[in-house]
Amino acid sequence: MTPTTTAGPATATATSRPIRRHRALVAALALALAGAATLAACGGSGGEREPTGPAAPANAGAFAWIHPDRPRPGWSTRDLPSGDAALSYPARWRLSKTDPGTVTATLRRGGQIDGYLNITPQGGAETLANWASFRPAHNRDEGDSDLIPLASATGLRFRDATGSCVKDRYATETSRHYVELACIVRGRTATTVIVGAAPPSLWDRYSPVIQRSISSVAVS
Amino acid sequence: MLNRTFRWIVAGIAALALTVGGAGVALAGHHHHHHHGIPQHNGGDHDSDNNGGPSDGDGNI
Repeated sequence: MTPTTTAGPATATATSRPIRRHRALVAALALALAGAATLAACGGSGGEREPTGPAAPANAGAFAWIHPDRPRPGWSTRDLPSGDAALSYPARWRLSKTDPGTVTATLRRGGQIDGYLNITPQGGAETLANWASFRPAHNRDEGDSDLIPLASATGLRFRDATGSCVKDRYATETSRHYVELACIVRGRTATTVIVGAAPPSLWDRYSPVIQRSISSVAVS
Repeated sequence: MLNRTFRWIVAGIAALALTVGGAGVALAGHHHHHHHGIPQHNGGDHDSDNNGGPSDGDGNI
C-alpha cells in the first residue's frame, strides 16, 4: 500500500525534471544567442564607422585667410613618411613625437603645448563631404569635452588641391582648452588631414602662424 | 514527443547562436585588418595627442 501512495508524486517529479532541464538549457542557449548577437553588433560597428553629431555651421568667411602659397621663408618643412604631403612650420617650433605615418610640430612652454600642427593621411571614414560633422563628432569620440563647432566650409582651394575645413574649440581629457582649425585636403592622388591648434588665450598670437601653415600644406 | 520538440528547439537556437557569433567574429577580424588605428589615451606611442594634447588628424576610432 505504501509504495502505491508514494508512486504518484515520484512519477510526477520524474516527468517534470527533464522539462526543467530543457527549459534551463533553452534559457542558457538564448542567453548565448543574445551574447553572440551583441558580439556581432560590436564587430560590425568597430573600425571605420563614421561618428555622427551636429555639423559645424557653414561659414566660408571664417576661412577667408586660406591663400594657397609656398611656406614662409625660413620655415622648416617635413614630408609625411609616405611622401604624400608636407607640413611647414616656423623655425622655433619643433617636431614632436607623433603617431606612425604622421608629422607633428609643436611650440611648447614648459610642459604645455602653446602651438600645435599635425598632418595625418586620411585613414578613417572622413571625407571632404562629411568633414563638418565628422571632425567635431570624432573629437568627442576621442574624449574631448565642451566641444563647440564654430564654423565649416567646403570647396576651399589649397595648393593644387581642394579641401574642407572646420573650426572648433574643446577641452582635452586633461582639461586643457584649445581652438583648432582642421582641414581635409585632397590632392591629385592623396588626401591628408592638417590640424592646427592653440589655447584660446594664445589664439590671436599663434593663429596667423597656424593659418599660414595650413595655407601652405602640399598634398600629392 | 515533448523531448523531441525540445531537442529541435535547442538545436535551432544553438545553430542560430553559432551562425550569429561566427559572423560577429568574422566581422571583427575583417575590421582588424583594415583598421589603421592609432592608439589613444597614452596607448602605444605616447604622443601628445594621447596625453591630453590637441587632437591629431587621425580619423580612426
